[in-house]
Amino acid sequence: MARLSGLQKEVLRLYRHSLRCVRTKPEEFRSHWKAYVKEEFARYDHIQKKQFSVVEHLIRTGHRKLEMYSNPNIKNIH
Amino acid sequence: MLALSRVGLSSSRSLTTSFFKPVLIRGIKTIPQPPGHIVGTVNDAYIAPKPSKTHGSYHWTSERFVSVGLVPLVLTPLFTGTSTLLDSSLSALLLYHVYAGFQSCIIDYIPKRVYGSIHNYAMWLLTFGTGVAGYGLYEIETKEGGIASVISKVWKA
Amino acid sequence: MFRNLLRSNSFAPVVRSSARTLATEASVPARLKTFQIYRWSPDTPEIEPKMQSYEVDLNKCGPMVLDAILKIKNEQDSTLTFRRSCREGICGSCAMNIGGTNTLACLCRIDTDTNKDLKIYPLPHMFIVRDLVPDLTHFYKQYKSIQPYLQRETHPADGRENLQSIEDRAKLDGLYECILCACCSTSCPSYWWNQQEYLGPAVLMQAYRWLIDSRDEAGKLRREMLQNSMSLYRCHTIMNCSRTCPKGLNPGKAIAEIKKQLAFD
Repeated sequence: MARLSGLQKEVLRLYRHSLRCVRTKPEEFRSHWKAYVKEEFARYDHIQKKQFSVVEHLIRTGHRKLEMYSNPNIKNIH
Repeated sequence: MLALSRVGLSSSRSLTTSFFKPVLIRGIKTIPQPPGHIVGTVNDAYIAPKPSKTHGSYHWTSERFVSVGLVPLVLTPLFTGTSTLLDSSLSALLLYHVYAGFQSCIIDYIPKRVYGSIHNYAMWLLTFGTGVAGYGLYEIETKEGGIASVISKVWKA
Repeated sequence: MFRNLLRSNSFAPVVRSSARTLATEASVPARLKTFQIYRWSPDTPEIEPKMQSYEVDLNKCGPMVLDAILKIKNEQDSTLTFRRSCREGICGSCAMNIGGTNTLACLCRIDTDTNKDLKIYPLPHMFIVRDLVPDLTHFYKQYKSIQPYLQRETHPADGRENLQSIEDRAKLDGLYECILCACCSTSCPSYWWNQQEYLGPAVLMQAYRWLIDSRDEAGKLRREMLQNSMSLYRCHTIMNCSRTCPKGLNPGKAIAEIKKQLAFD
């Protein structure tokens, strides 16, 4: 596998955190969450790895969303 | 964008030695910063660095004392003659003044939080430079009769 | 009634406003001023930010920049995004960079010279949420870190109010008026380079406001928090803060006073 840049590692880290966060959600809704995470990341598939400021912005907002959704009071997502 | 960087890459290969290549192609390695500067959750307060008076108020106060002290030390040789004591204290304070100024620049522009060890190297380099300058000043004091006389010689020449 | 009158005897552009607009407007030539506004949308992050031009007739617009951008949002482009609330300089929401100066759009008059474009940017060196909306999360985190509330061990004997002499109260003048619009902090080059660790003029001024409050008893802790090379001492008395403050306050002086206090601490 090619050596990943720092930014790419950051993206993977966020993805991993998001998937881990899915496991804290109630069992019956986990599939919803997983689908949501995958959809969110797939939405920006077309971004080139050299568009640094774009990727940085997405990481920033991604962390913000992750923090919001990891609230245990939020059970389900559609 | 991609094509441009390719061009940059090929030209740098022909121009530079292998020593500089990693720096030019990959850039200087910096420490990745937390996204949006946010450490912890958005509702946590920002955590200040550890309190240390030597880096804080003592440093600032000494800087002020030195800059204020420099004023009479610079002005007196212009009106009255100079002496070894006056001249050596002027050069010592000047050295510290310049050191503190550069130190401030390094903290501002090569912060440890982003550059890590490069910050430390810069500080070493500064200390080394200050040492060399200090030695030079010592030589001037002992052999040339002080910086005031050197300046007056240059002025008249 | 008025509107019918207007429409019948003139070919002026249709004004989508109430009868408040004067009947004379048809005779006055339009004073079109161009506003160039920074646009960037997070929905399409791959599209670079750009400046978009809007023309506003100053005769049909209020005197302040906020009036103009509200008019643009109402009539020309509803996707234009900015924060605003009180429209009288007390909430600090509409802080933006107008014509190269950080200020509140609601307190900034439109330059009536129609030959010059007016450029409007969001606050500099902040992460942008959209168009003119900066992300102030870190700024607020820093504000939180100075614990901007009254801290006391002892309580008043009558169990009611913490009293303060008139002279002590007078010390807070010029400090308590700060509305945390972040104009000063984002105009400070030191804050641009080191905003992660340097608190910035706005927050430091509030730190000073609590340091000199005669009712507050946590001064020692407050001072200790600033005793490092980053939080306070990255201020190099550039004084952009005092120059730009839309409320006419002087954060630079407050920071100097903190430095003085720390030196004698």
